[in-house]
Amino acid sequence: MLEGLTIVAGALPYLLGGCVVTISVVLGAMALGLALGIPLAVGQVYGPRWVRAAIGVHVWFFRGVPLLVLLFLFYFGLCAFFDLNLTAFTVAIIVLGLISSAYQSQIFRGGISAIPQGQLKAARALGMSDAKAIRSIILPQALRLSVPAWSNEYSIVLKDSAVAYALGVTDIMARAHFVASRTYQHLPLYLAAGLIFLVLTYIGLKALKILENKVRIVGYSY
Amino acid sequence: MSRTEAEKPILRVEGLTKRYGSKEVLKRASLAIKRGDLKVLIGPSGGGKSTLLQCINFLVIPEEGRVWLEEREIFHHRKKELYQFRQKVGMIFQDFNLFDHLSALDNVRIGLVRVKRLGKAEARARALQELERVGLKDHIHKYPAELSGGQKQRVSIARALAMDPSVMLLDEPTSALDPELISEVLAVIKDLGAHGMTMLMSTHQIAFASEVASEFIFMEDGQIVETGPPLKILSDADCDRTREFCSKITELYNTSF
Repeated sequence: MLEGLTIVAGALPYLLGGCVVTISVVLGAMALGLALGIPLAVGQVYGPRWVRAAIGVHVWFFRGVPLLVLLFLFYFGLCAFFDLNLTAFTVAIIVLGLISSAYQSQIFRGGISAIPQGQLKAARALGMSDAKAIRSIILPQALRLSVPAWSNEYSIVLKDSAVAYALGVTDIMARAHFVASRTYQHLPLYLAAGLIFLVLTYIGLKALKILENKVRIVGYSY
Repeated sequence: MSRTEAEKPILRVEGLTKRYGSKEVLKRASLAIKRGDLKVLIGPSGGGKSTLLQCINFLVIPEEGRVWLEEREIFHHRKKELYQFRQKVGMIFQDFNLFDHLSALDNVRIGLVRVKRLGKAEARARALQELERVGLKDHIHKYPAELSGGQKQRVSIARALAMDPSVMLLDEPTSALDPELISEVLAVIKDLGAHGMTMLMSTHQIAFASEVASEFIFMEDGQIVETGPPLKILSDADCDRTREFCSKITELYNTSF
């Protein structure tokens, strides 16, 4: 027991170094998910039928295939097939980002749908094109409403990022496994890894809660 | 302005028809409004007044019908023209439809900045001017959730006026207001009329309307049944259906006009 704690204490800097990798993967994936998720949501609510169908396929695919399968598919399958020279780190971000974009698009779609119809009517009545109205009136409100659901997505992506270890990304999980397989102190090391993830989740959710309060629309009730 | 120019209608609609499935909610409605007119749509709820107003600026696309503003026909599929047209036709909604994430000042400013592309300072100055005009100088930084119904409607009027419209369409502007807040909005509307704004308004405020309107238009079941001067429509209408509706109204007010 004591030996376990000593090993963990000694390995802690190494483990915490994995935080940088994990956080980079998570930030990259969330950003990609956001950049794709917003246009996907707008397309699903306001687009013509073929656009909505295409987005439906994207969402169905990336929500329907397990993360591990997609990681292997992209990294060992597609990269080899198309002769792409991408690192495991990059592929992890791309795959997690694409999956997150599918989930985030549904979050923003819900936010957009919650905005009363009258908002768009009034914007149009002023002479705004639909694109302007969506950008200036609908999205600012919809995104603010989506913050709580988005922080939920963050905690999911953070946890999912640990699966990237299967591609050889040297994140927290990979490092814990590396030390554990050398020292056989599996229990203390995986407990430590779990604790580190918990702390990262807690910090992120707290930060997003502050954001939620900061962008809250005065007097809004749903 | 020559006499014939002054008489040409600013807004003209012909044969506006709207169907939802098999139900025709607007049946070949036609009317014309001259500069400075205040025409009022009256009639039972569901009679097509709101649909007519929203078809005029194509917020609702009619199945048939034509619209002219200042003698130019508007084709709703020509988007750029449609957006220009809507700038000139201000609309006031029963539910105010203020932009909830913006202060009163920004609500009035956003159209100027995003649509008319005015500079920030110019837009701010104009927005302040309009908000002062409707009596809300002290509330410019408040958000819609912090304003009373009457204040919200006055902001929406300021927002529409800032775009320099040629015509204003008002869709039951006081129907969602508490009784004690109605008069402040009516005062603003009366003031607009006195300054020569051309308006087409649907309302249930018959007493107020008969004071300010140049013409009443009675609508029922999607059709314009009868038009005429307020007093004639209210007390001595030609059509039976008009008489029936107006007699109930005057009963309600316990007065004769």
